[in-house]
Amino acid sequence: MDAFYASVEQRDHPELRGKPVAVGGNSRRGVLATASYEARKYGVKSAMPTSMALSLCPDLIVIQSNGKAYQEASQVIRSIFYEYTDWVEPLSLDEAFLDVTFCDVAGRSATLIAAEIKKRIKEETALTASAGVSYNKFLAKVASDYKKPDGLFVIPPENALAFLEELPIGKFFGVGKVSAQRFSTMGVKNGKDLKALSRENLVSCFGKAGAYYYDIVRGIDNREVIPFRESKSFGAECTFETDIFEVTDIESRFVAIAERAWRRVNKQNVEGRTITIKIKFYDFEIFSRSKTFDHFIEDKEMFIFEAVQLLQKEYPLQKKVRLLGVTLSNFNEESLEPVQSILKF
Amino acid sequence: MKFVVSSTELLNHLTAISRVISSKSTLPILDNFLFRLEENKLTVTASDLETTLITWIDLDNIEGIGEIAIPAKLLIDTLKEFPEQPLTFQVNTETFAIDIFSENGKFSIMGQNGEDYPGLPELHASVATSVSMGHDIILSGINKTLFATADDELRPVMNGILIEISPEDVTFVASDAHKLVRYKRSDFKADIESSFILPKKPSSLLKNLLAKEDFDIKLEFDEKNAFFQLSKFKVICRLVEGKYPSYNSVIPTNNPNRMQVDRLEMYNTLRRVSVFSNAASNLVRLKISGNQLIVSAQDIDFSISAVERINCVYEGDEMEIGFKSSFLLEILSNLSSAEVKVELSDPTRAGILLPAEKEIDDEDVLMLLMPMMINS
Repeated sequence: MDAFYASVEQRDHPELRGKPVAVGGNSRRGVLATASYEARKYGVKSAMPTSMALSLCPDLIVIQSNGKAYQEASQVIRSIFYEYTDWVEPLSLDEAFLDVTFCDVAGRSATLIAAEIKKRIKEETALTASAGVSYNKFLAKVASDYKKPDGLFVIPPENALAFLEELPIGKFFGVGKVSAQRFSTMGVKNGKDLKALSRENLVSCFGKAGAYYYDIVRGIDNREVIPFRESKSFGAECTFETDIFEVTDIESRFVAIAERAWRRVNKQNVEGRTITIKIKFYDFEIFSRSKTFDHFIEDKEMFIFEAVQLLQKEYPLQKKVRLLGVTLSNFNEESLEPVQSILKF
Repeated sequence: MKFVVSSTELLNHLTAISRVISSKSTLPILDNFLFRLEENKLTVTASDLETTLITWIDLDNIEGIGEIAIPAKLLIDTLKEFPEQPLTFQVNTETFAIDIFSENGKFSIMGQNGEDYPGLPELHASVATSVSMGHDIILSGINKTLFATADDELRPVMNGILIEISPEDVTFVASDAHKLVRYKRSDFKADIESSFILPKKPSSLLKNLLAKEDFDIKLEFDEKNAFFQLSKFKVICRLVEGKYPSYNSVIPTNNPNRMQVDRLEMYNTLRRVSVFSNAASNLVRLKISGNQLIVSAQDIDFSISAVERINCVYEGDEMEIGFKSSFLLEILSNLSSAEVKVELSDPTRAGILLPAEKEIDDEDVLMLLMPMMINS
């Protein structure tokens, strides 16, 4: 969907149409979820701190998110998808992969199906969507982002490699801000430059992601569309009103977040073995540490104790803290994997 | 300053100590050898600040004394290309220019002021321990344990070998929390009880130097550093500071299930069967019943499986236990006896592997491996 939350707001509130609108936290330290295309002209982007967005675009109208309206729109869209195929993998409320290989809409190409879905979304929700069509997930995603808003872009197999060579590195799905920066210091500006790098070189620079980059620039992405994805972790995090530095302050807030995380874990009735803590510093540097146990974390006290231990290992923290978070993952169903046990020194 | 030295003798000494030089050294001068010329000998030092190797050659053809730092890689690359012949080193102590004269030529290198080379750590004599230990004891101790050391940034003590001396014996211990090796030698006795943790890098450097050693080693250490005096080398290394976990408490003592099996047969079987194990978990299952050990592995993702039987001598209840095959293979290959004893209590507790017969009367080898939990 194009500027999904913002478009829903503009649809429901005619007075907002044609104006720069953003949806997100409007507290002093909030972050934007979406910005309308009017706002994007000013350089306002999603995930941008509200304060920064307001300095770029002083007339920006920031709206608190209205989850219910988005949920409703999302459900309408998904039900349209399911009319065409069961192989729908939602990426978020407003985005999904559809595998139409075995689509029973006889005789119609993926491109025609995409056009039809777009049309129906417009009719039923009064919102515009952009679609990308290609022969794997990566290319489809890149294609869908290529002609926003209200776009439909097809990358046929014979054009894929040439298209990827021209594609700026930042437009590769999976290349984030940090990797893009890293690539630019390596002199990689587009797909062609990326293709010149060896797999070894990429893996040594980017780890596992390096192998992924090596493949995608060659149009190789064999990931399947997974119809239903269960949450792989549960947790909680909190961005503080002001950055904090005092250890006692950090710890008491951390414990509160851990308690909140535990409530969510409990609600899901799952048992996990991996605790991950996340620290975002005032300069947005993110740091995380995790620990996997050979047994399940069974009670709240243990969860909080181990999480705090993980945090304490990082003392003294060198910088003020903006955000703290903790999650539990590695749930029962995955633990059918054999686990190497460790000596308890 | 000037001296004459045999090209091959110098090369042999330099090659042995050059392994300490790190390619990513923080101090550029550490890319050099420090040459020090005294009355009748040449001493050469190489270091990465943590570990320092020193060697010396007795010379009679010397003019002047002094120090000079010479680029290590360039010097070794040059010496490698010479057949055995005397080389004359002429050093200008003002400009640090070095000219090496061979039979037919002259090779010029720019050195650096030897005084810029970092100083050596000193032993705090008042708190130091000094012992003399058989070269073979240290060598075996390192050989048997080094593979089990950890790579854990959070627990640096685990990244080294614990060496404990006592009036009864000396014990070498290494563990990465999955496996643990304890190697004792009772043919060494100290007057006191003391211990230190030797990091991985000097351990492996010592291993190479000790393989060619014929004499007892003088070992001195305080809280910070250890000094190993060999006949042609001196090794100085910074120790891992901190307390090693109490390893004895994690070694299970009550292991009613005991198996004895041919080591090589088990090793070869494991090598074959583990090809069929899941690449991520590397799990192999050992099922012991009667006098048979059944080794099996499977990888459901690829629908492949393997099973092999070996005869063994077994006393105990029928049981099945899982291990990471790569760890088990590592342990079996680091034991040297013809047969091994495997002691087990239950599938969740550590398995202990011992040589069935001793190579040396005074040695006591124990290797421990934690199992993998099989949840099905």
